[in-house]
Amino acid sequence: MIAYLIAIATLVGVRALLTLGLNVQWGLTGLVNLGVVAFFAIGAYTSALLAVGGTPLAAAWPAAIGLASLAGAALAIVALRLREDYLAIVTLGFGEVLRLFLLNEAWLTRGANGVTAIPRPLHARFSGHYDLFYLALVLATVGLVYLGLERLRRAPFGRVLRAIREDETVAAVAGKPVFRFKVQAFTLGAGVAGLAGILFAHYLAYIEPNMFLPQESLFVWLALILGGSGNNRGALLGSAVLLGLLEGSRFLKDVIPFLTGVRLAAAQQILVGVVLVLLMIRRPEGLLPEKPGSD
Amino acid sequence: MPPIAQYIWNGLVTGGILALPAVAFSLLWRLLRFPNFAVSTYLTVGAYVALVLNQGLRVSIALAWLGALAGTGAVALAVDRIAFRPMRDRRPFSLAIASIGVTFVLENFVRFVWSNDFRSYDVPVTRAMSVAGLRIGRDQLLILGVAVILMALAQTYLRRTRLGVAMRATADNPFLAAVKGVPTERVIAAATLGGGALAGGAGVFLGLDASIDPLMGAGLIISVFAAAILGGVGSAPGALAGALIVGIAEEVGTLVIPPTYKTAIGFAIILVVLLVRPTGLAGARA
Repeated sequence: MIAYLIAIATLVGVRALLTLGLNVQWGLTGLVNLGVVAFFAIGAYTSALLAVGGTPLAAAWPAAIGLASLAGAALAIVALRLREDYLAIVTLGFGEVLRLFLLNEAWLTRGANGVTAIPRPLHARFSGHYDLFYLALVLATVGLVYLGLERLRRAPFGRVLRAIREDETVAAVAGKPVFRFKVQAFTLGAGVAGLAGILFAHYLAYIEPNMFLPQESLFVWLALILGGSGNNRGALLGSAVLLGLLEGSRFLKDVIPFLTGVRLAAAQQILVGVVLVLLMIRRPEGLLPEKPGSD
Repeated sequence: MPPIAQYIWNGLVTGGILALPAVAFSLLWRLLRFPNFAVSTYLTVGAYVALVLNQGLRVSIALAWLGALAGTGAVALAVDRIAFRPMRDRRPFSLAIASIGVTFVLENFVRFVWSNDFRSYDVPVTRAMSVAGLRIGRDQLLILGVAVILMALAQTYLRRTRLGVAMRATADNPFLAAVKGVPTERVIAAATLGGGALAGGAGVFLGLDASIDPLMGAGLIISVFAAAILGGVGSAPGALAGALIVGIAEEVGTLVIPPTYKTAIGFAIILVVLLVRPTGLAGARA
């Protein structure tokens, strides 16, 4: 049971990073990104493939964050001039095409077989209670990213992002280079998602393309909206509640006899869909609404 | 006859099927001002409604197809009432996110009941005809024929009936139309019902042409988007032309790139159109 809770907490931490990343893009700046999972995958694959190839983690991890950020910047420069609804489909499509790439370019990504035996950092040193060590690593990362993003949100940079979200024209009239700020926010968010991917890959020690389905992006959106977008604390809370929902419903299997694995997964996703629609109708500001005019 | 003609023919059939949800998606986008991701899931809904009728109740496929039109139209209407109507005045992206939530519910309801297995209709096996070296399936001919008739009916409806004209007026300028006495909610209900029916019918075609599984509709979302954007959002003839172009490009493209990258072709079309005209191709009036 303890091992189970540790595993859940680690995954909550990974999801929290993804949600914090999306909060920079959507929550603070109002930029649509339905392809969150793409940057998560880029971080995971870059780090895993480099590490399996023998690159030390101290080099592989920055490279993975770098490539995820770079991909974010490239997509932002191409797509951020588009209208919101077009941006939605372009980012969604980007995620799908990237997954096809991971699946088909086996020479680079090992295709459907996935990447196995991804080294786990400091495994020899903490071999006795490794999972606990890894949880601490994830939580420390989440803590640092949270503090960093909180500072950023209150800093002049964050205020400009929020101004852009509220009214782009006003921000532009005030002399802010709106497009440049948008690209920076999108890049930063993509980098944080890449970091989440790194921690995910080296935790599981195995990744394959179908871990990065489009629905994963939707889970991140749900966590953010549930917690309260624009609000980093909300992003953390939303990630925890979402995983609570998903994991809690897992125990339905013990109660209801005809619930097979497929049915359980389907029931969970129905739940996710219903919660999302209800939230959008009833409480679009989430559990912890961003306080207007705060800081 | 070079094999490329075969690819073009297959693309034409794919495009004909794609045209139905593309027209529905495009018109609903213009009318309600948000991209409704659930439209592609209505294909899945239609395919399974027909499956229940055809396999469960032993109804002929033609009747099952009519049942799918009605059933999917009703589902689309219910979805609109429950999920979208309370949010009519919200920013479009909120509705788009809610529509993704709807796709989750519908798709997984199907998965819950029928699992992930691939299924097919109980129809007599027909031999493909060989015309000038081309393999042409009888199903394919029928599908393309019915799709063309449906498109013509939709166009006539939009041009010649009171409600159709009202629909175009509301799509152009909802406030002006409402002031002039157009019953906005009735227009939306009619468009949703019709759009759902078109998509549901296309789902049965897709099930006949390929196979039936819970993700069959979701897999088309990018192609449907590409067709709508290529044809200009809000234009029915545009969406039809866009769907045929996307369908043919996806089939012929497999000569050059692996078939597993089919989705990437639709995505490339979207990117090119949007990069050339970031606001999308403004459609001719529907």
